[in-house]
Amino acid sequence: MRNARRDPDPAIGERGLKLIIDTIPALAWSARPDGSAEFFNQHYLDFVGFSAEQARDWGWTAALHPDDAGGLAESWRRIMASGAPGEGEVRLRRYDGEYRWFLYRANPLRDDQGAIVKWYGVNTDIEDRKRAEQELRRSEAFLAQGQRLTHTGSLWWDVSTGEVIWSEGNYRIMDLPTTITPTVDLVMQRVHPEDLPIVRAMLERSTREGATFDLEHRLLMPGGSVKHVRVVLHNVSQSAGQPEFVGAVQDVTAARTAEEALNRAGSELARVARMTTLNALTASIAHEINQPLSGIITNAGTCLRMLDAAVPDIQGARETARRTIRDGNRASEVIARLRALYTKRAFTLESLDLNEAIREVIALSQTDLQRNHIVLQSELAPDLPAVTGDRIQLQQVTLNLLRNASEAMADVQDRQRLMRIRTEREVGDRVRVTVRDAGSGLPLESVGSMFDAFYTTKSGGMGIGLFVCRSIVERHHGRLWAEPNDGPGATFSFSIPRRPADASDAASVLMTA
Amino acid sequence: MVSVIDDSEAVRESLPDLLRHSGFDADAFSSAEAFLESEAVSKTSCLILDVGLPGMSGPDLHQELLSRGQGIPTIFITAQGDPSLRPRLVARGAVACLFKPFSDTALLDALEAAVEKE
Repeated sequence: MRNARRDPDPAIGERGLKLIIDTIPALAWSARPDGSAEFFNQHYLDFVGFSAEQARDWGWTAALHPDDAGGLAESWRRIMASGAPGEGEVRLRRYDGEYRWFLYRANPLRDDQGAIVKWYGVNTDIEDRKRAEQELRRSEAFLAQGQRLTHTGSLWWDVSTGEVIWSEGNYRIMDLPTTITPTVDLVMQRVHPEDLPIVRAMLERSTREGATFDLEHRLLMPGGSVKHVRVVLHNVSQSAGQPEFVGAVQDVTAARTAEEALNRAGSELARVARMTTLNALTASIAHEINQPLSGIITNAGTCLRMLDAAVPDIQGARETARRTIRDGNRASEVIARLRALYTKRAFTLESLDLNEAIREVIALSQTDLQRNHIVLQSELAPDLPAVTGDRIQLQQVTLNLLRNASEAMADVQDRQRLMRIRTEREVGDRVRVTVRDAGSGLPLESVGSMFDAFYTTKSGGMGIGLFVCRSIVERHHGRLWAEPNDGPGATFSFSIPRRPADASDAASVLMTA
Repeated sequence: MVSVIDDSEAVRESLPDLLRHSGFDADAFSSAEAFLESEAVSKTSCLILDVGLPGMSGPDLHQELLSRGQGIPTIFITAQGDPSLRPRLVARGAVACLFKPFSDTALLDALEAAVEKE
């Protein structure tokens, strides 16, 4: 039990004590047991702009914010009644009329009998903290609203402790109540089984190396529906080996399904167009060939009758045989004409920036590459000389090589599906394009035959095939070849001569190819 | 007399040959219009008619002759592969419809049927 009144420390003295009380960076006060004020330190009086007489007893309540006055009265009564230390927040008016938030704390002083003889208190300015709190609340509301609008969620993951924190948006994407504590396992349960290997592999790499995680994959929701999400995690940890990830998740299902529908429609359209053309082509072929065939069979039939007659008509038979040979040749011409019609596209020559053409092909392939989790590196030489060639056909070759590379990596799980496209000068005034993949590599048995006319490893592919690629490249006076990598996968390259100084010469040379 | 109308030279050469060897008089035309303009119309007792002719088609010629009251027993021949063609043409009065390439026997059998009809 403390004394009712402390004797002043002889070292400080009465005046020293007053100095301390008036200098401490707080508004200090004391009150009688009935709650009326007895003393205010100088800071307090200076803040509210009252004299000691004005503030004493109940005068200090004039500085309370009108909205807070009632609440404070209630709180003060409660604290006094409880006889225990208490605190609260209230707005006080400064001498210049501005209100500021204060945290007030009150402590009772008891006499030897335990009765309260005084209340002592300190008020601390928390206006800045209050403002910061409001900003934070507003900022959080913005974020939450923004995440709701964009179907995103954010998360924080401390790998060493395993602690995961989700924003409301993330709970929404994962379709889980906000009362659940998120864990990495919980997330893995939602990942689509087909995407699990690659998600695990990349996650493992990120946690091991602290590398950024950037992946689009699917979630399989409890009801069986599928969501597409894009997940990006950045390591913000200061210590190596103990990554701490801050990330965002975006639900891109709508965009992805729309795109897939579009692609399907496009493929379907192309397929129908091809079938229609093929039907028309087949009918045309049949029609064209049936004419000379008909002549051949009629002539041969007539020939036999003539030879079988009682008096064989040798002259007539000879004539029918002659016509048969002629019609046979006609049929042969029909086939040759049709073949030329089928394989020959208008071979338009122009001066070509291969880098630009390849960039277009890359842009067209973006969605396919993303869907197959392919990481594409393009190293297009800035000083690449122009070539003379058919833009569309060279783009078709490039597209075919890209598709092949992508397909070669379809089963890769334990490493990045890295594809590299490069353009560079080649010795001898040529330009080389290489497509390198990290896939299953060149199958031994087909190295010799993979460029053959009917070689295929896939059914119903939409590509033009390596055979046609090679003939296109050769028509450009170039060559197309494949070699295995140092490491996983293969590299396909083609090189064509650069555009010579005299373009017209090149054009005429290419035309006769 | 048998008239052959077909835009394919191979047919115009080979068919009359077969027909003559089989004892018929035969003549060949490259279009329906050429036939109509000739004197063969009244002399023809049997028509071997290509379906796909330039200008007036085979079936149209067949119809035209009927509407003129000059219907001639007709054997249609065609290089088109449409199987529904035969029943349709036969329903409109054709003796037969043969798909190229047809055998000489098939043609002569059809001719026999056409002559019997006459």
